[in-house]
Amino acid sequence: MTDIRPLIAESITRAFGEHTAVESASLNLAPGEITALIGQSGSGKTTFLRLLAGMERPDAGRVLSGTEVLASQDRHVPIEKRKIGLVFQDFALFPHLTVLENVMFGLRAIDKPERVRTAEHWIERLGLTGRRDAYPHHLSGGEQQRTAIARALAPRPVAILLDEPFSGLDPTMRDHVREVALSAVRDAGIPALLVTHDASEALVHADTIAVIENGRILQSGSPETLYRTPRTLDVARALGPVHSISASALPTEWHRAIGRDAETLWYRPEAIRLGSGTSFTVKGSKLAGPVTQLALSLSATETIYAACQPGSPLAVGDHVQANINPALFFDFASKSV
Amino acid sequence: MPRWMPSYRSIPSALIVVLVGLPVFAALYAGIAAGDGATWDHILQNRLLPYTFTTLLTLLIAALIMLGLAVPVAWLISQYEFPGRVFFSWALILPLAMPGYVMAYAWADLMGVAGPLQTHIRSLTGLSARDYWFPNLFSTPGLAFVLASTLFPYVYITARAAFSMQSLATLEAARSLGARASDLFWRVALPVALPAILGGLCLALMEAAADYGAADFLGVQTLGVGIIRSWTSFGEPNTAARLALMLVCIAGVFLVAARWIQGGRGVQQTSARWLTPRRIQLPVAAAWMASLFCSFIVLICFVAPVSRLIWLATETSTSTSELLPLLRSTLLLGVFGTAMAFIAALVFTLAAKRRNALRIATRLMAAAGYAAPGAVLGLGALFILRETGQALSGTVAITLLVWIYVSRFTSAGVEPMQATLDRLPKNLDDAARSLGSRGILHFFRIDLPLLTPGALAAGLILFVEILKELPATLMLRPFGWDTLAVKAHAYATDERLAQATLPSLLIVLAGLLPVLLLSWRLSQTERS
Repeated sequence: MTDIRPLIAESITRAFGEHTAVESASLNLAPGEITALIGQSGSGKTTFLRLLAGMERPDAGRVLSGTEVLASQDRHVPIEKRKIGLVFQDFALFPHLTVLENVMFGLRAIDKPERVRTAEHWIERLGLTGRRDAYPHHLSGGEQQRTAIARALAPRPVAILLDEPFSGLDPTMRDHVREVALSAVRDAGIPALLVTHDASEALVHADTIAVIENGRILQSGSPETLYRTPRTLDVARALGPVHSISASALPTEWHRAIGRDAETLWYRPEAIRLGSGTSFTVKGSKLAGPVTQLALSLSATETIYAACQPGSPLAVGDHVQANINPALFFDFASKSV
Repeated sequence: MPRWMPSYRSIPSALIVVLVGLPVFAALYAGIAAGDGATWDHILQNRLLPYTFTTLLTLLIAALIMLGLAVPVAWLISQYEFPGRVFFSWALILPLAMPGYVMAYAWADLMGVAGPLQTHIRSLTGLSARDYWFPNLFSTPGLAFVLASTLFPYVYITARAAFSMQSLATLEAARSLGARASDLFWRVALPVALPAILGGLCLALMEAAADYGAADFLGVQTLGVGIIRSWTSFGEPNTAARLALMLVCIAGVFLVAARWIQGGRGVQQTSARWLTPRRIQLPVAAAWMASLFCSFIVLICFVAPVSRLIWLATETSTSTSELLPLLRSTLLLGVFGTAMAFIAALVFTLAAKRRNALRIATRLMAAAGYAAPGAVLGLGALFILRETGQALSGTVAITLLVWIYVSRFTSAGVEPMQATLDRLPKNLDDAARSLGSRGILHFFRIDLPLLTPGALAAGLILFVEILKELPATLMLRPFGWDTLAVKAHAYATDERLAQATLPSLLIVLAGLLPVLLLSWRLSQTERS
C-alpha cells in the first residue's frame, strides 16, 4: 500500500471568466477522516472537488498530497496520474462492463487472478457479492453507488473524493447505502472528502466539516465545534435552522444567562426547552420532521420557537413553561465578517 | 363503439398499409414460388451463389472502409479542438448528397488511364501506362470504396452523437482510475458507443446493398445488378425473383440488426451535470495531423469528385434542348411521387399516434419498403403487372412507378414527422381533446401546425430521394420519361461520361439540400 498522506488545498483559486468559483480556499484533509464540504448549489463545492481531483487547474494556490505538489503555478499532475478516487452523484459506471469489470478497471500492472481477487474483496466489502456479474443497468441505485465506491477504492488511491454521492438515491435506502459505503471509505484510512448539501449527513457522518459559500471556505472544524460555535450566520444556517430574536424582548433572567449584549441574538430551536421556567402562551404548533415546532408568544410582537417531542397535547392558547440552553444562543454582530 | 371494433377511420391507413407492402410481397412471393428442379440448380450455381458472394464481399470491404473513416473522425471531432473542427463537423456529412452512381462516374474519370491522376504519375515518372500498377476502380474493392465514400456519414453521424453524449463523468471516472487517452478510447468510449456505431453501419450497409447504379456502371455482379439483368437480358424472371428474395433478406437482416442494436441496448447515460463535453485542445502537431486527416477525407469523398464533375461539365457543352425534357419528367415524377408518398407518410404518422395495432402494421410495412431495394420493388411491380395482364406503357407505367416510390420512400417521410411528434409533450393531444378539439378540426388545429417542421423536412427528403432513384425508374419508366438519374446512367454506361456530368451535378445539387438540413438539425440538437 502507498504511504498515507494528507491531501491539502493551499489557498486555491479558480475563476471562470468573470465568475470566481473558488477563492483562496484552504483545507487539510486528514488521512482516515471523512471531511464534509457543505454548501448550497453554486457555492463552489463541486469546483473545489474538481480542483483537488485534477479535472480543473487552479489559477492560484497549490494542491499537495503530503509534500508532493499535485498542482501549482508551474505544475499540474493530470487526473490519471494523481491516484485520487472519485465518486459521482450519477455513479458514472461504465455501462458496458459488469460490476466485477467496473471494479477491476483501475487495477493494472498485476496479473489477472490477483486483479479479480482484489476486485472481489471490494465487491464483498460493499455487500455486492451476489451482483458481481450484473451490468449497471440491472442494479438498483444503491448497488450502483456501492459499485462506484468499490471501483474508486480498489486501486488503493491516495485519497477519495465523493461528490454528492447519496443525493441521487431513494431516501428509504439512502441510510443503509451510506452506512456501508462510508464505513468502507473510513476503513481505507485515506483522506476522504464528502461534498454534500445535506447538513444532517455531514453532522452525523463527518469527522470534520467545512462550510463553503461563494467560493470561500467560511469555517472548518469538528461537527460539534461548528454546530455550537459557528463563526458566522452563514455557517450557523448551513448546519441547521436558526432563528433570530431581539435581545430586549427576552426575559431578563434568560438575557443574563446568555451573557451577550448584542441587539439581535440567534438561537437553535433546541435552545428553548420545555420545563420549569418562564411561562408562555402557545401561538402555534406544527410538525417539522421528527420534532414539533412550537411558536411561543414572547411579547406582543415577538415570537420564540422551540422544538419539542411530537405528540404533546399542547394547543393554541395553552400555557407552557420553558427554559434555555444558553450555549445555543449566538451573536454574530460582534464578530461578523 | 367498443374498443376492439376497427374504427372506420382506420380504413385509409389500412389501405395504405396494403398499398405500401404489396410490391415487396409480390416480389418475395414470386421468389418463394419460383419452383425447383433443374432450373433451380442452374440458378443456384450460376446466379444466386456468385451474385450473393460478390454482394457480401462488397459489403464487407465497404464496412471496413466506413469504420476506418468514420470512427476516428467522429472521435476527433467530439473530443478534441483543432483547426477547422467546426467546418469538418458538417463537411463530413456532405458525401451523403452524392448517389453512389455519381461517385462512381467521377472516380472512374479521375482514376482512368487518361484521367488526371494517372496522367500526373506518368508525367512525373516518365513511365508509360503499362509500366506501373494502378488500382482498378472497375472491381469489387472499387465498388466498395465508392459506396463507402458516399455512405460513411451514416456511421460518422451516429458515432459522433454516441461519443458526444457519453457522460463526461464516465470519462473522468476512467481518468481518475488511471486511464490514458488511448485507454479512454479503447476501453471506455468505443465499447460504450459500439451499439450506436454498429447501428449506423447496418443502415449504411442496407443502403449499400440497395445500390444498382454504381455496381452496374463498374461492372460488378452484385444482386441488384443480377435482378435487372436476369429480367431484361437473360429473360429469367424466376432467377430475378430468387435474387430479389436473397437481396431483401440481406437488407432486412441489416435493418433488423440496426433497430435491435439501437433499440434494445439503449443504455443512455443521462447525466445533467457536466454533460457539455469540454473538448481537449490538441498539441500543435497533433492538431494539424487531425485537420489533415479530416481534409483528406472531405477531399476524397466530396471535393475531388465534385470538382472533377464541374470541370468536365464546363468542358462539355450540353444543349438545353437535351436537358429540358429530362428536367420536365424528373420534376413531374418527383412532385407526383412526393405528394403521394407524403400523404402515405402523414397517414402513417397520425395512425401510429392513435392506434396500437395499426402502429405495428404501419411500422412493419414502412420498414419492409425501406429495406427493399428499388430493383426488388421494380420487379414486384412487374410481377403484379404480369398477373393483371396489363402492358407497361403510358399511364399504367407512371402509376406503377409512383406506387413504387410510395412503397420505397414512405418510411423516409415518416421519420422526420415522427421525430417532430416525439419531441412534443405527451399530454398535448389529451389537453386539446379535453378542450373539445376533435375530428378533422383537430387535424387542422393541432396535428398539422405541430407537424409542419417535420412535414417540410419530409417533403424535401422525399423529393430528393425520388429524384435520385435509379433502378425502379429504369425498369418501369414509360417511353420518353427519362429522368436525370436514368439519363446520366445511360450516358455513363455508354462511356459518354462527359455527357453524364451535368445531370449528375444537378442530382448532387438537389441532394445537398436535405444534407444541409440534416446538418443544421444535428448542430441544433448538439447545442440544446
